[in-house]
Amino acid sequence: MKAIFRVVQLNFQLEWSERRSYFSILIYVLSTVYLSNLVFNEILSPESWNAFFWVIFLFAAVQAAYRSFYFEADQRFLLYYGWVKPEHLILGKIIYNFFYLLAVALFTSGFFGFLMGFPIASPGAFITVLTLASLGFSSILTLVAAISAKAGNNPALPAILSIPLLYPQILTLSKLSIRSLTGFSWEINAQLLIVLALLALVSLLLSFLLFPYLWRD
Amino acid sequence: MKGIWWKALGIILVLYSIIAGLLGEVPRLVILNETIRVLYYHVPMWFSMVAMMTISLVFSIRALGEKRGADLRASEFAQTGFLLATLGLLTGMVWARFTWGNFWTNDPKLNGTAVTMLIYLAYFVLRNSVEDPAKKARLAAVYNIFAFVMMIVFIGILPRMTDSLHPGNGGNPGFNQYDLNSDMRPIFYAAVLGWILIGTWISSLRIRYKSLSNEEHS
Repeated sequence: MKAIFRVVQLNFQLEWSERRSYFSILIYVLSTVYLSNLVFNEILSPESWNAFFWVIFLFAAVQAAYRSFYFEADQRFLLYYGWVKPEHLILGKIIYNFFYLLAVALFTSGFFGFLMGFPIASPGAFITVLTLASLGFSSILTLVAAISAKAGNNPALPAILSIPLLYPQILTLSKLSIRSLTGFSWEINAQLLIVLALLALVSLLLSFLLFPYLWRD
Repeated sequence: MKGIWWKALGIILVLYSIIAGLLGEVPRLVILNETIRVLYYHVPMWFSMVAMMTISLVFSIRALGEKRGADLRASEFAQTGFLLATLGLLTGMVWARFTWGNFWTNDPKLNGTAVTMLIYLAYFVLRNSVEDPAKKARLAAVYNIFAFVMMIVFIGILPRMTDSLHPGNGGNPGFNQYDLNSDMRPIFYAAVLGWILIGTWISSLRIRYKSLSNEEHS
């Protein structure tokens, strides 16, 4: 537990010392949201709001998580190697990415809402959906980042590898979030929420089990 | 598998399903009419694709245990599965044109298929972007296991939660236990088994060819 916490802390410190990765995500979100504002020069229907939001968030998340093993492939790898178990490392990275993606999601929805209007009928449900999305995305994207770092940091690889794996979640998510925009009933949507939570858990478990095989070299 | 018997059995079963499938009696259903015969040629593609992907998964799990040659087998079975998926998609599209009026609809099952094919394309891209064979084996195996689970979620679980245009789902006439009558059932199962055997045969030929050419290079 302590080791996991140390990994999260260390990750944050290292990323904070090179703040430009945070700023690059920030600017990415700002420019894409502003672009969609320019292209859609009118009030969006909840359906298009939903579609735009998830596409922008998806690409921001892929970008954000891509960096999580970027440096590990060469120098930092050795630092971790004798110091932390692979199970702890992956959990720490997933937790770190979870908070990171949640922050990105909240920021994206905030700025998106600022420009395009907030058609959200049930904010509580929307934030629940965002939290579950961040959990599922961070589990898959962290493992994919590890795979693509090991495969030699080809910049196209993370998107190619992760987007098809994320489809089941994105479809469920967008279905849930459109309902949270137009009015949400917890009883009716309990089944979909459970599916989403289970998908996130399965991805988390798979990442946890498979990462040690990637780790040893 | 050794011997020739299973290859012969595969050919006989597939030939039987083609001939009996065209000549046999089928129930007369509205909308479907004679296109119900696509059951023998389209649906077995999906069954055998899932079978090929499952075999590929088993070899990927063995490749994680550093078993020699397992990675090549996993990759070749996945490729055969991909070929069967392509055939399934094409036969389905021809059928959909005559039954639904369009080659492509946004049906959950079609989306599932498209995503499955994208996932396995990503798997092939990943394999091609790594040089070192030991590393390739591990990375590809990890991705393949993840891919298989997501495929099962996508084609097995999500479509059950929504309505589909496919026969037998959501009030469509079609192939459920009432319609798949005793005339059709043996031909259908013969086609499934036959195509699984043919798929295994294709994969084993390719595995032999690849491992021979690898030996020659090294």
